[in-house]
Amino acid sequence: MATTVMAPTFQDTPFEIGGRTFRSRLLVGTGKYRDNATMVRALVASGAQIVTVAVRRVSLDRTKEEGILYHLDPSRFFLLANTAGCYTAEDAVRYARLAREAGFNEFVKLEVIGDQKTLLPDVAGLLEAARTLAREGFKVLAYTNDDLVTALRLEEAGCAAVMPLASPIGSGLGLLNPFTIRTIKARLTVPVMVDAGVGTASDACLTMEQGVDGILMNTALAEARDPVAMAHAMRLATEAGRAAYLAGRMARREVAIPSSPTTGMLS
Amino acid sequence: MIATLPRLHAVTDDRVVGAGGVVERASAMAAAAGGALAVHVRTRLLDGRSLLDLALRLREVAAPHGSWLVVNDRADVARAAHAQAVISGRGGLAVRDVRRVAPDLAVGRSVHDAAEARAAETEGADFLVAGPVFATASHPGAAPAGPALLEAAGSGGRQVIAIGGMTPSNAGSIVAAGAWGVAAIRALWDAADPAGAARAFLAVLPAAATIALLVNGESRAVAAGTTLSGLLDELGLDPRAVVVEHNRRIVRRDALTATRLTEGDAVELVHFVGGG
Repeated sequence: MATTVMAPTFQDTPFEIGGRTFRSRLLVGTGKYRDNATMVRALVASGAQIVTVAVRRVSLDRTKEEGILYHLDPSRFFLLANTAGCYTAEDAVRYARLAREAGFNEFVKLEVIGDQKTLLPDVAGLLEAARTLAREGFKVLAYTNDDLVTALRLEEAGCAAVMPLASPIGSGLGLLNPFTIRTIKARLTVPVMVDAGVGTASDACLTMEQGVDGILMNTALAEARDPVAMAHAMRLATEAGRAAYLAGRMARREVAIPSSPTTGMLS
Repeated sequence: MIATLPRLHAVTDDRVVGAGGVVERASAMAAAAGGALAVHVRTRLLDGRSLLDLALRLREVAAPHGSWLVVNDRADVARAAHAQAVISGRGGLAVRDVRRVAPDLAVGRSVHDAAEARAAETEGADFLVAGPVFATASHPGAAPAGPALLEAAGSGGRQVIAIGGMTPSNAGSIVAAGAWGVAAIRALWDAADPAGAARAFLAVLPAAATIALLVNGESRAVAAGTTLSGLLDELGLDPRAVVVEHNRRIVRRDALTATRLTEGDAVELVHFVGGG
């Protein structure tokens, strides 16, 4: 007679950044959606708690766009302001200070871009801005290259988390170098979240299988034919990748080993 | 010379304050006249605490439009209410003593004849409130000094605000006679439409000076004396929904009403938009 077994619930370790604990390891951006209603539905479908926003001038022509807070409930989502579009440490620090003044939290996703074509980070500017902001009490989540030494320097600078890229922002090329991401995760004490480059669910899953603490994406959802369905897929993929990492994969071998008993065969 | 000194002064007295509805009427006038208006708190009916309470409520309706709050005699209340000026009347504190209490405020002196005007000059008052120029119901016993007082008061170069029987029909000639602006009680507070009365005065007073700003990279002219809070109001922006940077310095929400803009200031108004 078969024993009845309840489906076990998956037990993850808490996901903590800068002294705050979050449930969802999937972080999503709010840019580039075709409309705000789709954006909000995709955010909800993704299960994300942390959502990124940008700081920009208000339109003085009041008939034009409104701020995102007219659509996003700041009590439902943790708003992570970015410094996207900043090309110098000085600008990034200025944007971060303005974002903090909005009064939600002291977290900032620090971007200091060094090249317009690839949007790859300016490492020198990034480190300078990270030091300044950490000194001012910011919880800095630094978007960076998948370079171990830069990641170590960012941690030393006082960053609350380091966010190496999977591939360039908005490229959808997926995880290009799992090895460097694994190396960074292995060497850092602060959380490591992969930011940028994810294209589809398998990219998210493969990224989470490297053992990183979380993943941030925007374009993969916003530019999907159905952003809400893709958000759902990304949620499952993030959870699947995380669970697989925690489960510990089997060893790779170059020979086949039968899965069924080799004894008891009929003669 | 205070370039931003308003041209129109809505002066209260015991009767106006006692009748109630002062804040509502002040609000309507401030919306109509902006930086060209000063609302004066002048009454002996209230004790210090109630007076400050009234002053604070008046500032709350005046400041978003760039209108001034002026407190008569009580330098302590003026300072506590973040007023722009104090007027010291007959028997009131000397100008230097007002400045010891409220060092950042403009100080006006109320004068009634040429001798008092000269004394006020000597004391170092920033501006003079001179009157009564014409016969007024507020001081039925006082003999009007006539426009000659304005010439005497203004001879020392101080700005003069004329008071006593001021109406939209005579205000133009009063300014032509040398006054910087006019102060009225009945013609404003007793009007069925105080905002309309304020506009009627402004129509004959010199236009408020404007200053040029750079707001989010675009040049924009605002009335001299406009505050950051007044600018947001003019732009239809909710101060809770924007972060304000003034000449590269972030201005906290609670400091917006106290931050006055000056020529060439750069203001950045930002908010959150979608981003990755």
